[in-house]
Amino acid sequence: MNSVVVTFVRELRAYFVSPLAYAIGACFVFIHGISFAILVGYLNDAPSSVGAPMEIFFGGTIFFWLALMFVGPVLPMRLLSEERRSGGLEILMTAPVTEGQVVLGKYLASLAFYVVLWSPTLLYSLVLWAYSDAVDWGPIASAYLGVFAIGAMFLAIGVFASAVSRSQIVAAVLAFSLIFGLLAIGLLEFLVVSEISRELLGYVNLIQHMDDFARGIVDTRRLVYYLSVSVFFLILSSRTLALNKWR
Amino acid sequence: MIEARGISRSFGDFEAVRDLSFRVDDGEIVGMLGPNGAGKTTTIRMITGFLPPSAGSITIAGHNLLQDSLAARRCIGYLPESLALYPEMRVEEYLTWRARLHGLHGAAVGRAVGRALERCLIEDVRRQIIRTLSKGYRQRVGLAMAILHEPRVLILDEPTVGLDPAQIIAIRELIRDLGSQHTVLLSTHILPEVELLCDRVQILDRGRIIAEGTSESLQEQWLGNRVLRVTLKGSGAPAAEALERLPGVRSVAVDETVADRFRVDCEPRSDSRQAIFELAVERGWVLLELSEEKASLEEVFVQLTTHEDSGGPEAHEDGAEADA
Repeated sequence: MNSVVVTFVRELRAYFVSPLAYAIGACFVFIHGISFAILVGYLNDAPSSVGAPMEIFFGGTIFFWLALMFVGPVLPMRLLSEERRSGGLEILMTAPVTEGQVVLGKYLASLAFYVVLWSPTLLYSLVLWAYSDAVDWGPIASAYLGVFAIGAMFLAIGVFASAVSRSQIVAAVLAFSLIFGLLAIGLLEFLVVSEISRELLGYVNLIQHMDDFARGIVDTRRLVYYLSVSVFFLILSSRTLALNKWR
Repeated sequence: MIEARGISRSFGDFEAVRDLSFRVDDGEIVGMLGPNGAGKTTTIRMITGFLPPSAGSITIAGHNLLQDSLAARRCIGYLPESLALYPEMRVEEYLTWRARLHGLHGAAVGRAVGRALERCLIEDVRRQIIRTLSKGYRQRVGLAMAILHEPRVLILDEPTVGLDPAQIIAIRELIRDLGSQHTVLLSTHILPEVELLCDRVQILDRGRIIAEGTSESLQEQWLGNRVLRVTLKGSGAPAAEALERLPGVRSVAVDETVADRFRVDCEPRSDSRQAIFELAVERGWVLLELSEEKASLEEVFVQLTTHEDSGGPEAHEDGAEADA
C-alpha cells in the first residue's frame, strides 16, 4: 500500500510541474466554458421543457464527450510509455515494488488530476444557483458520480495503452480508438433491429447512461460495469509490464 | 552475498547469457569485464531482478530472487548503465521519493537522503532540477539513489561511462569508499578501473565466464613470463650474451629504440634481478635501468576475447542488449 501512495504522490506532483497538464487543463476548462455559455444563452432565449441546464451540460452536448474522449487518452499517455522509452522502468522495477503497485499508483494519480480538471465546473452550478432557483442538487451529484465513474474507466484504458507502447503518441491514439469503440458500440443500440441485441447494447450505451446520471438516475449495474472494465484494463497493464521482462 | 547458479537468458534465438555461475562474497568488490555484447548488462539485469533468467537461480543475501523477489530487491542498490532519472524533479525530491519507495518513513527519510547527498558529494546541487545537471552530477545522483537504503549489495553497470577524467577519478574514489561497507559488483569495459578497484575479476565473453580470479593471478595464469627491462650503459652486444646465460633467463632481445637496452624474458616465478645487478657490477657496466615490464590485464583481456572468426562488431548481440 505504501508503494502505491508513494507512486501516486510522485505522479500527481509530476502532473503539476508538466506544461502538458496545464495545456490540457486550459483546453478542458475552455471547452466546458463555451459549452456552458452557449447552453445558458440558449435556454435563456427559449425557456422550454428541454431540461435543466446542468442536465444538458452533462452528456447532453458534443462538448462533453469531446472533452472526455480527449482527456481519457491524453492524461495517462505518459505514465508508463515514458518509463519504458527512457529506461526509467529499470530503475523503478528494481526497487522493491510490484508491477501492480506501480500501475495502481500511476492510475490513481491520473484519476486525481482528472478530478482536479472537473472541479472548476462546480462553479457553473453555483452560478446557476446564485441567479436562479432552477438548481436541483441531487441530479448534479449523480451527474458528477457518472462523470467520475466513466472517466475512471477511460483513464484505465489510457493507462493500458500507455503500458503497451513506448511512444506516448501511439499510446494516445490506441486509447482514443478503444474509447471511441466503446462509445460507438453503445450507439449501435439505436441501429439494430433485434430486441435482444438492442437490450444488450443498452447495457453499454455510455451516452444513454450519462443522460440518466444527469437526470439523477443511478443504476448500480452500470457502476459495476465501469468498475469491471477499469479493473480489467489495470490488471492487463500490470501483466503487460511484467510480460515485457520476458521478451 | 550474490550467488548465481547456471543462469541463462535468450532473446528469441539469440543466447545472450548461457549457463553462467558465479558468486560474490560479503565485502568483496568484483569486476565484471567483457567486450561489448558479451552479456554483461543482461547478466546484471538478471541479478537485479529486472530480467528473469530463462533458466537457473539467483540468490541475493539469502533471498531467492525469483521466489522472494521483493525481499531480495530490498538488499540491492543498483546503478543502471542507462540512468533514466525523472528530469523534472529536484535532486532532493528524487532521493526522498526513492527512499520512501524503499519503505523508509518519517525522519529516517531525511537522514538517509542527507547521508547519501553527503557521501556522493552532491550537497551543493540538492535543490537543482535534475534536467539541468551535468552527466557527472547525474551519475552521482544515481549512485546516491543506489546507496540510499544502505543496501548490502551494490550493483554498478558502467559507472564511469561518459564522464570526464576528473569526474571518473571522483566516482572511482567514491566506489572504493563504498566498497569498504558494501559488497560491490561492478561491470565495465575499462580495464584500469578493474585493476584499481576490484578484489577479483571475471571476464565474460559471448555469455560465458571465460576467466576468473584476481588481476595478478589472471596475469600469471594467462601471460606467464615476466619481462625485465634492462639498460646497461656502454655494454653493447656482449651484454646480451651474458644476460642470456644468467639462471632463470629464457631469452634476451635488444631494444632497437634505446641504445643498450634489453628486454629480458624470464622463466615464470623466477627473479633474475639480483643476478643482473651482480653481472653489471662484475663487468663494470653502469646499470641505468632495471624494471619489470608490467604485463597488464589488458593483454589478458585481449588474448582471451579475440576470436579468429569475428571480424568486426557483432551487431546482432548489441541489438539484443539494447532491446532487452
